[in-house]
Amino acid sequence: MTTTYNRRGFLKISSIGLAGAYLAACSVGGGDQGAAEQALRAAFSQPINDLDPHGPSSVDESTLLAGRLIYDTLIRRDGDKLEPSIATSWEQTDPNTWVFRLRDDVTFHDGSPLTARDVKASLERVRDAGTAQSALWTSVTEVTAEDDHTLRVVTDEPLGTMPVNLTLMFVLPADKMDNDGFFGKPIGSGPFRVERFTPSDVLELSAAEYWNGAPKLARASLPYIPEVSSQITALRTGELSMLWPVPPDQLNQLKGVDGIRMETVPSYAYYFTWFNCGREPFTDPRVRRAMWKAVDIASIVENLFGDGAERMTAPIPSTVFGHAPQQPYPYDPDGAKNDLAEAGLGDGFTTSLMWFSDTGPLADGLAQAMISGWAEVGITVEPQNLEKAEWLRRLNAKEFDMDLQINTVTTGDADFTLGRLYDSEADRMGYRNPDLDEILREAHRDSDQRRRAELYSQACTIVWEDAVGIFPAALISTYGLRSSVRGFEPAPSNQPDLRGVTLAT
Amino acid sequence: MIIYLARRLWQSVFLIFGAITIVFLVLRVIPGDPATLILGSQATPAELAALREEMGLTDPLFEQYVRHLAEVARLDFGESWRLGGDAFASVVDRLPATLTLAGYALALTLLIGFPLGLHAARHTGRAVDRVVSYLSLTGQALPSFWVGIMLVLIFARMLGVLPGTADGTPVSLILPAFTLALPFLGWLARLVRNGTLEELGKDYVRTARAKGLSERIVFNVHVLRNTLTPVVTVLGLVLGNFIADAVIIEQVFAWPGIGSLLIDSIVNRDYAVAEAAIVLIAVFYIGLNLLVDVAYFYLDPRITLETV
Repeated sequence: MTTTYNRRGFLKISSIGLAGAYLAACSVGGGDQGAAEQALRAAFSQPINDLDPHGPSSVDESTLLAGRLIYDTLIRRDGDKLEPSIATSWEQTDPNTWVFRLRDDVTFHDGSPLTARDVKASLERVRDAGTAQSALWTSVTEVTAEDDHTLRVVTDEPLGTMPVNLTLMFVLPADKMDNDGFFGKPIGSGPFRVERFTPSDVLELSAAEYWNGAPKLARASLPYIPEVSSQITALRTGELSMLWPVPPDQLNQLKGVDGIRMETVPSYAYYFTWFNCGREPFTDPRVRRAMWKAVDIASIVENLFGDGAERMTAPIPSTVFGHAPQQPYPYDPDGAKNDLAEAGLGDGFTTSLMWFSDTGPLADGLAQAMISGWAEVGITVEPQNLEKAEWLRRLNAKEFDMDLQINTVTTGDADFTLGRLYDSEADRMGYRNPDLDEILREAHRDSDQRRRAELYSQACTIVWEDAVGIFPAALISTYGLRSSVRGFEPAPSNQPDLRGVTLAT
Repeated sequence: MIIYLARRLWQSVFLIFGAITIVFLVLRVIPGDPATLILGSQATPAELAALREEMGLTDPLFEQYVRHLAEVARLDFGESWRLGGDAFASVVDRLPATLTLAGYALALTLLIGFPLGLHAARHTGRAVDRVVSYLSLTGQALPSFWVGIMLVLIFARMLGVLPGTADGTPVSLILPAFTLALPFLGWLARLVRNGTLEELGKDYVRTARAKGLSERIVFNVHVLRNTLTPVVTVLGLVLGNFIADAVIIEQVFAWPGIGSLLIDSIVNRDYAVAEAAIVLIAVFYIGLNLLVDVAYFYLDPRITLETV
């Protein structure tokens, strides 16, 4: 009896020991590779969940960011100008036809040459994908590769935004892009090749041969860190070399810290508060303007965001093509009350504002500040802080009185937001104005940039003066960098070009 | 024994079936669907309707459910719209990271909690005993995400001795594993302490002492063995809890496990991934329970089929 018991006891203890030893043996692995080469660890605030640049995440900043590093486009944006990339030149042979000449020295990471057939297949793929970017390409009827380096695109109506839209259209290898598992480790023709990709966790890249200047870094790793405080800590301890965008309320955590510097650039992202112009009492522009006058935008933006945002002067950020400064609405609560009385709402009214917390930095604070401004002129606004999916559903169904959200002019061109959101046919917030429709459609068709700028200037004035929404703040992107990072250029799109970056040792 | 096992396995099948059903229903009852999230804020009603049709979201719920069950039976949870690719494969991909974290947390719990409990039992009412009580209470009362953030602040930001996020090195395991272990560590210490005290009051201990055995032998040979049995049986359940708790901890420490994947998939209505992850966690938990029940027979010979 005693012996059995001893054996059993022995078994128990040894099995626990074995389990412990096993657990100690399995570690996460990795780590020490390439310590001698230059490896950048850079964290963007949103997860990269999909490397398919035409798929459901095609206009997500994180997928675009990865796309810029891995793939290439026909045309790229450099500040206010459009520069050739794969395409050396382009012309409009008639209003509905564009012809592109392509470089003959571009290859994919596997060595195969990039030809007009790849561009054709990519453009057709994104047009037919049925995703958010597909909307840019609905008017494309025919794409032909006339030879290896000439591409012809025919549309059913003039598409003046063709060149700027092409800055989003990443070219994939035609014969491989539909393979199973291609986007687990995709092949592009951009400056970096993919070494390893775990969705929403980490993207590891290495320098590739690139016709337009190979990256100076040997490797770059883009991890995703969900918690803001962990992101800040990782930058402060040097676990990260780069973090962007730093939320406005965290700037103080990095200011004046040894070994960290910050670079800022006004971004393409901005906040707006739409009125549902198809619902009482917001059908009356006097009420909408009174709502705007009732909130002290200047001091809300100043106090809440500090250096993290700037007060808007038009319904699109100042960095976007088509921006034209407007007369700011004064903070005038008494004036607002008078306007409301004139509109027959002297006793105030009750309405609601919906948003979701993760729409952008300090969204809750911005919503509350505006709501308390309205309360002072007798308007009771019920705060509706929703979950993202529910918010989206109600936005698409126009089930809201007021909506607060962040919006990004992904292409950097007013067509992407003004053209797509304020057209009566898009019917996003119940605002209908045939004059505005005419202006926006002409700007969409015309390819003369000067004429387009003029048209968008008129569009800015109409949207602003009719107060379709309140446009409080455009965000300023802050890049937090270790001082060892050199040659970095901040990008308003949050999609920085890492080719010139080096790490000082 | 075989019959008992077969019966338990049969029950497990029903439990897993229940888990699949609940997950399916809850995900579809909450407002918002994947089509809305795929097309984003600039979608037109026509585009939305077309995509819903294509994704089979317009079919009657019961029809979707039956189809879903048939697929799950073949371990096919469908494609993830967010990650592009097989949902089950991407969940299985993340499993080792979560298991590693849970494993280390379990090791920490055992290595600290067990000796601490024994020590407290031998010194009842003394400082160490009180520390164990407080530790147990605080450890369970403090929300683990808060503990995690505090540990990052102290050890990574202020002292700069440990990394605060997963960077692939074994040191980056320490903070998340400890955060995960903390509530169970105190709990285990209390369990061991109370179990030991109970055993110490039993007749066989009095007999052993009366035989003139030294206190050390009484404790290490006789009492310790009897305390082990309940401890081993609860460890399986603790491991199951670790996997569930890891969902939150992983978010704080950017740990690349199932948890961070699960949260992202629920927020974005990526049904396939959420279902695969939750069902996998459920299967794991049920499996551990079964294992513990079976292990019980071998650990304590007094337990027979009639007593269960």
